[in-house]
Amino acid sequence: MDARRAEVRALEAEIAALRRACEEPRTPGEDTSRARKSLQEIHQSDSGEWAASKDLRGHLGHLESELLFLSTLTGINIINYSMKTEDLTSTENTEKSIKKVLQRHRLSGNCHMITFQLEFQILEIQNKESLSSVITDLNIIMEPTEYSELSEFVSRAEDRRDLLMFFRSLHFFVEWCEYRKCTFEHFKEKYSEAVRLPEGAASSCMVVQSPRQPGFELVIVWRIQIDEEGKVLPKLDLLTKVPQQALELDKNRVLETAPLGFRALLGVLGIEAALESLITSLCVGENH
Amino acid sequence: MEWANDKSKGGVLAHLERLETQMSRSCKNLEDPPRETAESDLGTKIHKLRCLRDKLRAEVKQRQARIKASTANAEPDQTLEISEQEAVGGKEENMKAILQAYRFTGLSGKRTSRGVCVCISTAFEGNLLDSYFVDLVIQKPLRIHHHSVPVFIPLEEISAKYLQTNIQHFLFCLCEYLNAYAGRKYQADQLQRDFAAFLAGPLQRNSLCNLLSFTYKVEPQGRSFPFCARLLYKDLTTTLPTDVTITYQGTDASSTSWEEQRASHENLFFTKPLHQVFTSFARNGER
Repeated sequence: MDARRAEVRALEAEIAALRRACEEPRTPGEDTSRARKSLQEIHQSDSGEWAASKDLRGHLGHLESELLFLSTLTGINIINYSMKTEDLTSTENTEKSIKKVLQRHRLSGNCHMITFQLEFQILEIQNKESLSSVITDLNIIMEPTEYSELSEFVSRAEDRRDLLMFFRSLHFFVEWCEYRKCTFEHFKEKYSEAVRLPEGAASSCMVVQSPRQPGFELVIVWRIQIDEEGKVLPKLDLLTKVPQQALELDKNRVLETAPLGFRALLGVLGIEAALESLITSLCVGENH
Repeated sequence: MEWANDKSKGGVLAHLERLETQMSRSCKNLEDPPRETAESDLGTKIHKLRCLRDKLRAEVKQRQARIKASTANAEPDQTLEISEQEAVGGKEENMKAILQAYRFTGLSGKRTSRGVCVCISTAFEGNLLDSYFVDLVIQKPLRIHHHSVPVFIPLEEISAKYLQTNIQHFLFCLCEYLNAYAGRKYQADQLQRDFAAFLAGPLQRNSLCNLLSFTYKVEPQGRSFPFCARLLYKDLTTTLPTDVTITYQGTDASSTSWEEQRASHENLFFTKPLHQVFTSFARNGER
């Protein structure tokens, strides 16, 4: 038992050191040597010179915890940031006490599985009365690009130079994607015979099939849209697939009105309960 | 969205509390050894840690491979001579810079002795506007120590709804209100500043900038101000009005072109920011 506990301690220490190594821009070779150094220090006992660097690392720990708090709060993990400034004040400006500075910012990071790289420019104009700061250019590169809903949103954010909305909407979009994935996985696990995820759990569609009547299929399409104002909204639709014979027997046109009925159901029960009731209604009499 | 809310509640507040206790320990302490007594728990934990360590090792290798080849000629021994002080200093710079960069996400902040001071930044159409802060004390219940939120923003209402259950939601909601207010204020200021010639007298507004009233003309050279506008922004989280009333008060009341203009103005005020409506008036006047 002790040996295993020791192994856990050693692993945790190495992981902490590796994490630190991952965050710094360092020349090659330094990474592993500093990882080694940190590991050594962790196992060292108190010593005078070490106490001084302990303060510094205490301060670093403080900064680290602030960063961790912010990335948890905003959902955005900023990994790299740099800025350059260029003074654009002309002699005419100086006479009128006007100062113009152009800032070039570079920012990169990730929001869960989506990574982004931003380059933007801010023009700061300072005159006697006020200081104005305007984003004059915004370029956004995102990966992965399989979320097609995002490319339109990104162009809109770039056109409007709306940095704040970009981050806010990205965070909510990713949260909704995670929620959708979890929900689909939950139903796949619970009703493994009836539920199929033909494009995987991270996609936008879930297929429900009655195991006894394989010709009947309900396809739930769950898209996540970002509207003009940057609001993130789920949009669910129901598609039905039934054999021709069933269509002919459907005198009450239940199948035709199913998509509308589904929308109403969503409004009343919410997403999870609506999906659950849909699946159970198709699998009536099944043993789970 | 219950699920996400629960996650945030657990995530942010619990995170803060965890960080709080971590900070009071000295740096060199490792995390307490796992309390699981079951063999299998320990085994799974070791397995998970090994996976994470392998993943991080791979990342570190990747990083090293990406760094420029020009430094590859350096003797490995030389790297050990770089003092801990310098190395840590560089890392500190980087982290401080990233902390500053968080203002571009709308929310940034720093730890305080009592808890955390969150800074909310506002912007409208690429214009970076005022920021506001909320100083939170990490206690049960969570409370606001002090803040710079204007008194006409319904802070009490928002904190009563969300502060205790979901800090993230509380801050996002406050952010929405503040950004909308900043946007409305910006539009009103711009109108006042750049289009004063189109207005008969100053723009009348309340502190929330959600009720505006003014008398205006559309031709800069015209002598009279035939239109009277009243804009109401009932939804405090938007920067476009919910109610627009334009009345024509000129003497030529019988002419239908005035009615057409009046109606088209109403539509413009509903759909475009205030100062942009006047920019288009000015542009039309130049033709």
